[in-house]
Amino acid sequence: MKKTMTALTLAAVLAFSGHAFAHSPLMSCFDNGDNTVTCEGGFSDGSSASGVKIHVLDASGKSLVETKMNEDSEVTFDKPAGDYKVVFDGGEGHSVEINGADIVE
Amino acid sequence: MKKRFIPLLAALCVLTVVGSAFAHFMVVYTPEIALSQGGDLDMRIVFTHPAEAGHTMDMGGVEEFYVMKQRGDAEARKVDLMQYVKEITWKNPESSNKAFSAMIPKKEVRSMGDYVFVMKPGYYFEEEEGVYMQQIAKLILNVGGVPGNWADPVGLPCEIVPLIKPYGLWTGNVFKAQVLSEGKPVAGAEVEVEYMSHMPDVKTNSMPAKSSVEYPQDSFITQTIFTDADGYITFGIPKAGWWGFAALGVGPDKEYKGKELSQDAVIWVKAEDMK
Repeated sequence: MKKTMTALTLAAVLAFSGHAFAHSPLMSCFDNGDNTVTCEGGFSDGSSASGVKIHVLDASGKSLVETKMNEDSEVTFDKPAGDYKVVFDGGEGHSVEINGADIVE
Repeated sequence: MKKRFIPLLAALCVLTVVGSAFAHFMVVYTPEIALSQGGDLDMRIVFTHPAEAGHTMDMGGVEEFYVMKQRGDAEARKVDLMQYVKEITWKNPESSNKAFSAMIPKKEVRSMGDYVFVMKPGYYFEEEEGVYMQQIAKLILNVGGVPGNWADPVGLPCEIVPLIKPYGLWTGNVFKAQVLSEGKPVAGAEVEVEYMSHMPDVKTNSMPAKSSVEYPQDSFITQTIFTDADGYITFGIPKAGWWGFAALGVGPDKEYKGKELSQDAVIWVKAEDMK
């Protein structure tokens, strides 16, 4: 029984780590120059980010926009007036944050 | 005295002829093909001998230049790039000729994903052999690490389709690819391989005289491999930098203006050292 448990744990760890390595989240955002920002998401194995939650937060961490990546793994939102960051919320170990200051035309 | 010169002259003639028989390579170049983020892309299109910074040839203009873009599992999108193509003069130490530059604006290379650039030149007449050449070239670039259509055939008359990400190679990796003619694998095709031992300088539109490689003998300048029964090539990459592969005469067109035509498929890949 113990042996089986160890084997199962090992399998789980392997499965999890394999997943994490082969499938890292990626996001890239642009200032469209018309007071909107577009973010594109994806995973390093080429899989779609469609439906992944996107949070836009202000400097205090307050949520400004709650949305999801569309079927093309993209999202466009109004550019916040002050400091902000965009969070690609792909679940635990699958999040990416981009600072508004790094989002340029 | 005179008699002794004759064999020498004959030897020189043979050397000259052999020299000119080395690989003519269509070079489609931009300094980096694995980009962290998109930006303006400065490209060059030159028909030359990249392992020797050698004879540069008139490719007969650019017939088609476009990119197939794809991110993840979205549809690939074709964008024509002919509007960005400009004629330049490419100057190698001993030879200069017409070539082309293209400054692709950031708006076309902004998104993450793969960019499969395709360049179909006109026809080059090789006078010594009395044959025309047309080398249809691919260069595959990635932005941001999200892969796309790098392993998909574009559907060219002839092309080399990689089975390993061509922009993510380490030195020592094995490059594997399939040679296709009208979508079908070509068995036993001759594929020439050259290392870009004279790195193109996009500021001066030239290649330097100094080679980064010492070639012990001519066989090492242009390596030759053959496709297997299913059209695959495999090639271990011994050094970081740019490697060009040209599958000779694999295209469906065999004649141009009443002369023999060699319609070739070219791909360029880049390897990085592990540090």
